[in-house]
Amino acid sequence: MAEAAAPRPSSSVKLVLLGEAAVGKSSLVLRFVNNDFQENKEPTIGAAFLTQKCNLPTRTIKFEIWDTAGQERFASLAPMYYRNAQSALVVYDLTKPTSLVKAKHWVAELQRQASPGIVIALVGNKLDLTNEAGDSTNTSGEDGDADAAEGDDGDARKISTAEAKEYAEEEGLLFFETSAKLGTNVTEVFTAIANAIPETSLKGTRGPGSTQANASRSEDQSRVSLTGPRDNASKEGCAC
Amino acid sequence: MFNLSNLVQKAQSLIDPTQALNISSSDRNPAKSTLFRHQFRLPDTQNPLQEITAELTISPPVAYTPNVTQGEKERDRARGYHYVGKLHLSEAYLCFSTQPTSFLQSASTGTSSLFTGQTHGAGPGGNGFTLPLCAVRRVERLHSQNYQFALSITTWNGISNPPAQDSKTPILQQKITIQLAGTRQACERFCDGLKKGLKSGVGEVGKLKRVVSECYSEHLLSSDGKKSDPPDAGLGMLFKYPGDARKLRDRSKMRLWAEYLRDNGRNVTLIRQPTFHKLIRVGLPNRLRGEVWELTSGSLFLRLERPTLYQDTLAKFDGRDSLAIDEIEKDLNRSLPEYPGFQSPEGIGRLRRVLTAYSWIDEEVGYCQAMNIVVAALLIYMSESQAFFLLSALCDRLLPGYYSTTMYGTLLDQRVFESLVEKTMPILWEHLVKSDVQLSVVSLPWFLSLYINSMPLVFAFRVLDVFFLEGPKVLFQVGLAILRINGEELLDATDDGAFISVLKSYFSKLDESAHPKSENPKLRAVTRFQELMVVAFKEFSGITQSTISEQRLKYKDGVLNNIESFAKRTSIRNLGPDSKRLSVDELGALYDRFYGILYERQQRSQILQEETERLAKASRSQAAEVINGLSNNQIIEKGRVGLGPSPSLMDYDGFREFLASMTKWAITDSPTSPEKEYLSDREKHSYFGNSIRRREALSPWGSGPEPADHEFMQRLFRRWDVDMNSALTLQNVVTGLAHIKGKGDIMGSITYFFELYDDDGDGKVDREGILRISEALLFLSRRGLEGTLGLPATPMTAVSEQNHGNIDQLDPLQATTNERFLSSISAFIRRCFEYADPDHPQNQDEAQGTGNGGDDAEDLLELNSPRDDVAPRGKKPTGLDSVPSAISELDPEEQHRKVSKAQSEAANAALDPSKPLHITLPTFRMVVLADELLEQFFESSFPLSFRILEQSTPVISPSPLTTFSSLSFNRSPVSAVMGGAGGTGSVGLLPPGKGLRGVLDNIVTDGMRVAAEVRRRMEEAQKEMEKNALHRPEEDEEDEDGYDPRSAGGYDAERRSVRSEDRDLLEGADAEAGSIRATDGKALPVTPVSPAGTGLEAEPKKDRSVSALTQKVVEFER
Ligand SMILES: Nc1nc2c(ncn2[C@@H]2O[C@H](COP(=O)(O)OP(=O)(O)O)[C@@H](O)[C@H]2O)c(=O)[nH]1
Ligand SMILES: [Mg+2]
Repeated sequence: MAEAAAPRPSSSVKLVLLGEAAVGKSSLVLRFVNNDFQENKEPTIGAAFLTQKCNLPTRTIKFEIWDTAGQERFASLAPMYYRNAQSALVVYDLTKPTSLVKAKHWVAELQRQASPGIVIALVGNKLDLTNEAGDSTNTSGEDGDADAAEGDDGDARKISTAEAKEYAEEEGLLFFETSAKLGTNVTEVFTAIANAIPETSLKGTRGPGSTQANASRSEDQSRVSLTGPRDNASKEGCAC
Repeated sequence: MFNLSNLVQKAQSLIDPTQALNISSSDRNPAKSTLFRHQFRLPDTQNPLQEITAELTISPPVAYTPNVTQGEKERDRARGYHYVGKLHLSEAYLCFSTQPTSFLQSASTGTSSLFTGQTHGAGPGGNGFTLPLCAVRRVERLHSQNYQFALSITTWNGISNPPAQDSKTPILQQKITIQLAGTRQACERFCDGLKKGLKSGVGEVGKLKRVVSECYSEHLLSSDGKKSDPPDAGLGMLFKYPGDARKLRDRSKMRLWAEYLRDNGRNVTLIRQPTFHKLIRVGLPNRLRGEVWELTSGSLFLRLERPTLYQDTLAKFDGRDSLAIDEIEKDLNRSLPEYPGFQSPEGIGRLRRVLTAYSWIDEEVGYCQAMNIVVAALLIYMSESQAFFLLSALCDRLLPGYYSTTMYGTLLDQRVFESLVEKTMPILWEHLVKSDVQLSVVSLPWFLSLYINSMPLVFAFRVLDVFFLEGPKVLFQVGLAILRINGEELLDATDDGAFISVLKSYFSKLDESAHPKSENPKLRAVTRFQELMVVAFKEFSGITQSTISEQRLKYKDGVLNNIESFAKRTSIRNLGPDSKRLSVDELGALYDRFYGILYERQQRSQILQEETERLAKASRSQAAEVINGLSNNQIIEKGRVGLGPSPSLMDYDGFREFLASMTKWAITDSPTSPEKEYLSDREKHSYFGNSIRRREALSPWGSGPEPADHEFMQRLFRRWDVDMNSALTLQNVVTGLAHIKGKGDIMGSITYFFELYDDDGDGKVDREGILRISEALLFLSRRGLEGTLGLPATPMTAVSEQNHGNIDQLDPLQATTNERFLSSISAFIRRCFEYADPDHPQNQDEAQGTGNGGDDAEDLLELNSPRDDVAPRGKKPTGLDSVPSAISELDPEEQHRKVSKAQSEAANAALDPSKPLHITLPTFRMVVLADELLEQFFESSFPLSFRILEQSTPVISPSPLTTFSSLSFNRSPVSAVMGGAGGTGSVGLLPPGKGLRGVLDNIVTDGMRVAAEVRRRMEEAQKEMEKNALHRPEEDEEDEDGYDPRSAGGYDAERRSVRSEDRDLLEGADAEAGSIRATDGKALPVTPVSPAGTGLEAEPKKDRSVSALTQKVVEFER
């Protein structure tokens, strides 16, 4: 990505990726950060930390990305990573129904336990394994047939767009179908998140000012939500 | 109910060493054995048997000459090093340590855990040795005036490479002299123990030979000339060891080690002197690294115990698949990929085999990410088998709970680390808090993968060198040192990103000079890594193993609670759409109840098992871990969700207990243990009386009410067990309850009930099923009904008022309602048969005759209103006064039997087994809706009877809810009867009542008898059918075999008759119960478990009401 233009205000946003193993979280991040796709060789313990800038017309957002990794048993470590995250990408594999179930669990967990006002995007990955892959993407010339061996007609999709979309709307989530492999919709997800983060909750640099509200446990926050976010906002507003 | 904090307290008391002393009822203090094992890194099989103060003298190995004089021996003794310490003896080990630890019963916990404190770099073992007795070749007693009691020990040092007989090189033997300091008696006792151990150790020499032959030291020290192939010292032999050997000064390190090993023994016979610790601190040479890790961690002794376990495990599970294996497979290619060995099939293959084998022997851990990295690192320096045992030592002792399914050990140590940072570096800590950086996100991988993934490999291995010797505290010391050294820069970092990059860059520069600008060349030569080691072990020398233990204890609860609430949250959320029918509170309560019962059941069985084991003298002491602050054996805490795999399946007995905790009806009427064992009793261990009988009588139901066992409960269990594995998951239970409680509509409820009895799912319930349904209704209502069944009971008012003065603890309205419900059930049976469909069309005519036709809807409507046609019958039991006199003339059984036989033969198609019939759901529905009480039962009282949120009222005395004190039921001494009947082991005998039993109780019991009677007669009729009519006289004789009403007076005859019948039923019930147990609940029998057994009571007054009710049956047969 291009260097941020000098005058644009820059602020950092903490983003956490959650979802069943092997849905393509790391691949999405890699695509977003390096515009690359490869077998994940990086051994990750707990979570991998990466950053990437996202340029919006009026400002630059620096994403601090926590790519949670690992097995089911690492799930109990997740609160450590989504704590104070302003945004989350909950990923499922649209060829694997169980992964949407798991995604829904994560959404529920975030809604209940994470910072109030967290921006959540539901992302159905591996779009290249479906028929529509060719239609919906302009970026790629190749069709996903190499990987799409599963379905007879080349369509391995198990979760319809409508179903996931309806759920996303119900829960007030951003919704995208992506292919980390082809790059379809990947930047769009991050841009949409960047845009969805309320201006007021952005911080310039994270500093003492922003901490007070966030340091307290998220549960407490939701309890005092009348004052919490507003305090936050005013401080943040000044910082920008 | 399930009181977590209570259990936690209990667990804590076992963990706390001082408290453990108080509660330990066994003669040996278990915590001490654990401490002992930890100090000397011994396997769990070892216990401290003897100890004595002693002085150790190590002389350099001497050339063996057979005829040394006493004087020469003396001279040997004079040379060499002397250490004063304690000599310990276990079953198979002789250990010496300069740490003045004591594991005697009388020793204070402080002296037992001395080594967990400051060890001054000597490691928990101190200076000394841990010698397997099988490695002792000879023990001589030295006679001398100066030395009161001295032993000279010759070891099997170098056993795998004995010099050839004709070798010119002198035979070098390792000799240790130990002078015991104690009374002559104490010394003799110790020697006797030692003799015993030596004897049993003799057989192990072969094993020893095999095990040490895999140690590189044997090759290193083998006499020149006959150098064979070196043993496997890891992938490094094939792919080079990481780092520059020159820079690491590997050769000179090797020379120093060779010298040390020559003088002080190798592998199992190695003696730890200060040089040993120093040599470890400067970093191990490549080829000896694996062996020394194995030795210092104690995994060598595990391998010695079961040398072939690794190979055996691989062979045993060859070709098997598991989830762990899938997960392992995914990670093989990303485990230290930078090391060439792990880019090759050889390295990957080794890694796969070790991880897989371990996942089989420790299924609770299975495989956890990060283990791949740790094992990959080990495999560079050691053989597969060595790595396998070292991994085991890691998971069990060094990193307890790190890789468990909840990773509680990891989370706990992160919390401990944070608290240590806060304590030792308050400014940095404050900064972290202010900048909202969570320390764990950087430190967790340090601990979880032992710095292997964070530092360049060569340095991580240096940390491991010390870690295996000195234990987990090393991880903390190094972590703290990293933060201390980077303190300045970290204070400038204000977010995760900056924080991480400071440390990343630090780790990448560990080999650079720590003081690049210094004038002093010596200072300049100090690398950052050396600086790190100095800071870690000097500046943070105050961080000892006991510091860590203390902190772990402090935070353990909080961490476990967090994990548990996370698990609960997740679990409840994952319960699927059915769960939405229940409230969040209800789900939470169900979760607690479900796991609470599983937990308690496990505890109970464990305590029982423990006790048996203890008595069998096979008790391997199950101790709390004073060492690491975590219960290793998890004896008390096993099953706590936060600790890892906990039971998640509920068997039928658990289900009974579960129901009994929630519903009145699932509590048994006849507890098998009359004195209930309350939790408090158990805590006091008071029930571990000496009498074996008492132990056997121990209630398997713990503190809760003892559950009943009724066919209905079995059906419910089977219905909920949708996966057909004879066990329920939380999901099953929630779904099951959601369908009963969550529907809120009567039709659903009726359908549910119907389906419970429609065994083959064909939409029909046969005659047998109808009876069973009515039995279930009686069972469910026998303690009264929930909810709004208290109707304005007009027809009953008179009766209840009339009896008012006699009512004791009874809500008259309730009583009458219950009575009326009984008659409702009677009516239900009658109507079911009335409206049943014949199975075969040829029976159609007769069926029509009994009222089944197009006009049955009208019939039902009609039946709905003239309630008095039903109710008076329900009243009968209360108005029984007249009945006995009426019957006393003639045995009622006899009477009705005659009638019934005649009837069934004559006209009653309903009871004619040759004419099978059934009801369909619509019929069932109509019949239910025809009765207001039944309707209400299905609409509200049945669903309401499951009280998820409240505790079911503890039924202290299992007497029923209603008690009439002075009705004319003159009860015979129940206990006597009970004694007799109880011996048969019946499932549901009524317990001794307090004075008069409630009328309702009788009614219910009687109602059950009605059903039983109907069945009995059906069976009889069946028999009659099968037999020829010609045989009838014979049959009559048969009948009379059971009893002869004429030979005894009315009362006795009556009583006997019922009892003989009861016996049949009991036998039936027993057989059923037996079959249930035999099949382990897998195939619950569909054949009748006669519920009559549940209400069985051999009492004359009862019998009367039976007859009274059987009359009703007779009535509707007409
Ligand atoms: N066809 C296809 N495969 C993908 C895509 N994204 C990831 N994968 C593959 O899915 C597997 C898991 O990806 P990874 O990013 O490691 O998943 P994570 O466990 O969620 O981080 C890898 O084999 C990827 O190559 C995608 O968009 N299309
Ligand atoms: Mg990943």
